[in-house]
Amino acid sequence: MSSIILEARDIRYRYPRGMEAICGISFHIRKKEKIALVGPNGAGKSTLLTMFNGMIRPDSGLMLFDNQPIQYDTASLRMLRKRVGFVLQNPDRQIIAPTVYQDVAFGPTNLGYSETEIKEAVNQALRHVGLEGFERRPPHQLSGGEKKRVAIAGVLAMDPDVLVFDEPTSGLDPSGSEDIMELLDELNHEGKTIIISTHDVELAYPWADRAILMLNGKILKEDIPEVAFGNPESVRKAHLSLPTLLELHMELQKRGFLLKGKKPRTVLDMMHCIETLFENSKKPGRHGIITVCNVDLDNGEYLSKWLSMHTGICTGAMGTRAKQCAENLKIHLDFTYGVIDKCILKALLGEDTLILTTGSMVKRVYLRVDAYGLESGVHIPVHPLTTPEESNEKNEGIS
Amino acid sequence: MFEELLEDIAQKNGLREVNAYVKLAAGLGAILLCLLSTGYIAPLFIAVILTSAILILARVDAKTYAELFIVPFGFAIMSVAGIILITGGQDIFWQWNILPSFSLSITRESINQGMFIFCRVIGGMSAMIFIALTTPMTDFFIVFRQCRVPEVVIDLMMIIYRTIFILIDQVIQIYHAQVMRLGYSTYRESLRSFATLCGAAFIASWDAGEDLIRAMDARCYNGKFALLGESRPVERMPCFAVVIFLALSATVVIVSGSITII
Repeated sequence: MSSIILEARDIRYRYPRGMEAICGISFHIRKKEKIALVGPNGAGKSTLLTMFNGMIRPDSGLMLFDNQPIQYDTASLRMLRKRVGFVLQNPDRQIIAPTVYQDVAFGPTNLGYSETEIKEAVNQALRHVGLEGFERRPPHQLSGGEKKRVAIAGVLAMDPDVLVFDEPTSGLDPSGSEDIMELLDELNHEGKTIIISTHDVELAYPWADRAILMLNGKILKEDIPEVAFGNPESVRKAHLSLPTLLELHMELQKRGFLLKGKKPRTVLDMMHCIETLFENSKKPGRHGIITVCNVDLDNGEYLSKWLSMHTGICTGAMGTRAKQCAENLKIHLDFTYGVIDKCILKALLGEDTLILTTGSMVKRVYLRVDAYGLESGVHIPVHPLTTPEESNEKNEGIS
Repeated sequence: MFEELLEDIAQKNGLREVNAYVKLAAGLGAILLCLLSTGYIAPLFIAVILTSAILILARVDAKTYAELFIVPFGFAIMSVAGIILITGGQDIFWQWNILPSFSLSITRESINQGMFIFCRVIGGMSAMIFIALTTPMTDFFIVFRQCRVPEVVIDLMMIIYRTIFILIDQVIQIYHAQVMRLGYSTYRESLRSFATLCGAAFIASWDAGEDLIRAMDARCYNGKFALLGESRPVERMPCFAVVIFLALSATVVIVSGSITII
């Protein structure tokens, strides 16, 4: 278990001349966790989030960051805000400067970085969110999703340890939301702790490591998503709806189907549940192969050739850079989110798939497929896409 | 309402990548030459060159450009008509004595004067529009900073620039919401609707201002507003073109200084 990074001890807060927004909340968040704060409108989610970076000071109780009580003097707050990045719900309210470059540079400038450091930080942040080449565009000409990315880049440029998102997908279309959620996954994979608030249960359920259900300024339930959302009573109390997969699982159980294993969080899990039910009837001849291509290796030419040899193969891209690469090479993408699971589903049907992704995410493909293999006992082969020279080198190394 | 703002055109124009100083030199130089000129040909020459630069080099839509020109054009016609009638002279073509001490007349001198002023307006306007359509505000900020305009002023300008578009968006939304519910249907109603529009816009901008402070605080605001981007490098070709243009115009100013229309 990694160490605790954020902790609240019995905090209370009342808006001036208003009702109590937070009435006695205690919880802790560990490093590298993905936390979803879920609750209806007015549950106090946003108020709680703004306490994480000291924008609001609780009336009573204690907020701890990195096991130190949060100090509310200017210097300490600056340090805190550097380490806890906050992305507002409305990017229009967050983007301050007249061009994308200037806006992303805002944080680093105020942190007193040198000019070259600022440039480096801005370029890296823009690369991360896939907005290279947007530096001189004014924000009012961007689409909603692009604005959101600028807002995220502005926070990323300060390289915080914890990222707090207030309703990260509000106002975005479904594919835009999935893109943002995948970006959050990518960031989490790089070691950042991510906290989001949302009332979209379907979004939070497969994504979060832990879900915190809030109602009327109190924590209703705090657990792994399967448990937090698994109790229809508390979900109803929180004015939310059950995730469809969980509901389906429960309904199947009620009808006397013996579903083994843990509760399903993804379509893949659900398929596994159902397939184990009809174990005898399923006879896949062979499992499809998942090929993983690391686009950072700059092997576009070979990739195009490989694809022309394997026409009709289903292709998915993970991460913004992989998607950009696919666009540059004019590769048709079948999957742009939930890529690994969808590829496993295809492999179970005996079809081969290709995943385009970036260096840091390659490992994740293996991990996910291995985890699935352990759970289901199905071995799905995963191969890296290597150019002939590389494989020759490898063979030579072996011999 | 303006759906397409000047700024949007400037952000997309064909001369966007040319160094701001070069474009400013062309525009300001042209204005200066228009003012120095004593004949009507030089401003007209400048207007023709700059208009073709706007239409061909900057690839601005001719209709948009004409629309921009129409308002100052109307003003120019009206004031020039006044000048022609009021200015006196020796060579009288037409005269009307309204009062013993006041008469309207058209003379050779007044026509020359009117034509001269009219061409000056056209030349100056095309230079102004040239700057407005080719140089976006964001590039101006860099120029301002390099010209040692106080930081506070630039920061304020940048915040205003950024929020203007948000405010316009909001105003358009409120306006549409009002029209959809039959606001502005009668004279009385439109007065009332306009008042609510102003009120709502004020409250919205107040809210946005508070959020702005919060957003800046959340990103460690320390008195430094955003760093400016880099300006484009000065390239030889555009520089050369501007020098030629200004030199040519200056020659025209000197040569055609005494030429009058009649």
